[in-house]
Amino acid sequence: MQPTKDQIEALKELINIGVGKGAEILNSMLSSHIELNVPAVRVISTGDFSKELQKISDGELASVDLGFKGEFSGTSQLVFSSGAASKLVTALTGDMDYGDDLDTIRSGTLCEVGNVVLNGVMGSLGNIFETHLTYTVPNFREGSVNKIFNPLDENIDKLLLLAKTNFSVKELEIRGELVLYFELGALNAILKALDRLVVC
Amino acid sequence: MANILTVDDAWLSRTMIGKILKTAEHEIVEADNGLNALQKLESYTPDCIILDLLMPEMDGFGFLEKMQEKNIDIPVIVLSADIQDSTRTKALGLGAARMLNKPPKLNELISAVHELTN
Repeated sequence: MQPTKDQIEALKELINIGVGKGAEILNSMLSSHIELNVPAVRVISTGDFSKELQKISDGELASVDLGFKGEFSGTSQLVFSSGAASKLVTALTGDMDYGDDLDTIRSGTLCEVGNVVLNGVMGSLGNIFETHLTYTVPNFREGSVNKIFNPLDENIDKLLLLAKTNFSVKELEIRGELVLYFELGALNAILKALDRLVVC
Repeated sequence: MANILTVDDAWLSRTMIGKILKTAEHEIVEADNGLNALQKLESYTPDCIILDLLMPEMDGFGFLEKMQEKNIDIPVIVLSADIQDSTRTKALGLGAARMLNKPPKLNELISAVHELTN
């Protein structure tokens, strides 16, 4: 089942609200203004999905993913270039005493930032749809695009609903991507939830 | 000054919470999941517990359930990234005294601790 143009527009607006909440949270963590772009929402194959994500960066990426299950299931991801991730960690931990274990601190810090921001996005959607989502423990990965998005290999023939937006923190010269993808099997549930919102 | 048990698997959050609580000269003991927190409670009785929800081993909901089972009567402030209304309802239903959202805000957290320990 393909969503109509109106349904895509409605989803875009709702995801925009969720992303706004995520940005508000990141803003309070960094005390810096977050610039957001309007999210792109569309149905694509997993093959095209990989190509789409290659556009983020040719180099190393750092990513936190948060799986969600409930009336609809999927994965949300916060993706930075490795350089931007380092700037983010420095901005957050600059004056903290964290001993020698830099790799653990780096991954732990990025994991928690991803957790808080992605919960903001998905929790906002859960509240709007009046449905409860349960989350997996967030997972941090760093490497090439293929390594970051490896979990999709199991679903190679599936279609996905992809929502993607980028954001920047100009003061800190940080750019990132916020990516949500839902297995298309969940799309019917999302569209039903959408109908509940618009039908009186 | 109060004795506070902070339960969170994330180093960043434990550090941020610790910095905030130390501004009010509270004493802090840390645990990185619900199971370790329960073990600490066998030999330590804090005035208040600050609890994350999404953690490995035993999550915050599991910890709250265990507290009810064991009749442990210590006020709990849930501090979670999960902003869902349904999560707030569930946490409060399981006995949490307050539900706050991450990232922790200094005034909000200090006020909640003060109200629950005085």
